[in-house]
Amino acid sequence: MFSFSSMMHKPSLLIVDDEPNVLLTLKLVLEEDGYQISTAGSFAEAESLMRTSGQFDAILTDLWMEREDVGLELARSASKLKPRPIVVIFTGYGSTTNARAALGVPVDYFALKPLDVDELKRVLNRLVMANLGDRGWRS
Amino acid sequence: MTGWRGAKFALVVHPELSVLSQYQSQLSNHGFTTVVARDVPTALLAITQHYFDIAIVASQLSEAGDGWPLAGVLHLVFPGSYIGVLVPGDDLLTLQSAINNGVQDVFEFSQSPQSVVKASVAAAKLAVSKRSEESLQ
Repeated sequence: MFSFSSMMHKPSLLIVDDEPNVLLTLKLVLEEDGYQISTAGSFAEAESLMRTSGQFDAILTDLWMEREDVGLELARSASKLKPRPIVVIFTGYGSTTNARAALGVPVDYFALKPLDVDELKRVLNRLVMANLGDRGWRS
Repeated sequence: MTGWRGAKFALVVHPELSVLSQYQSQLSNHGFTTVVARDVPTALLAITQHYFDIAIVASQLSEAGDGWPLAGVLHLVFPGSYIGVLVPGDDLLTLQSAINNGVQDVFEFSQSPQSVVKASVAAAKLAVSKRSEESLQ
């Protein structure tokens, strides 16, 4: 099983969801892969953490929280950071409108609920590994 | 610097020769040397031989959806390059495939090669300028 645990620098991951159970589950699952995890229960809390806690290697966020599509606002804020973290959005309310907006932000991965956790872990690990070595178009 | 350095290369992957010809002509008007491919193996071979600043790929080559993994490979090999995908329609799953394969934009098949190339070149140029400015900071 893949894990960042043995690495000197454990990738930092911010997970954002307004449902505490989802937040806790994702935290437990992704901690197994060696991420250093912070959590936020809202867009506002996530923005505050991004400002105060320094740099995250990846942000995993729900799309709908205190407002519709607010996850896109978080992705836009993240896209202005240098270096830009990997951004994964997950949602049960995917539409052509919010997916097209996500394509333009840009977002690195757009997952529809119900989440396939194994697939999510594989994708996140691949994106984080690639981003640690090479920050290209989406930087 | 506000543009590309040296020769600019584009890759167009589409099953129809007439479409490839139109894209080649349009990209040539924008100063690109264009390599064309009608299938995935030929496109993969081209990837090993050139650096591509722009790639325009049909989502459907020999079978439905087989252009997406090729776009994903292009994004991995050329993370700083522009990748556009030609699609039958921009429904949710198509847009999800675009995001998840690192594609910058999708264009419906009905759009003219002229408009697709114009939009692709403009977006690619903007990204190159942005990166150049950032590297100077």
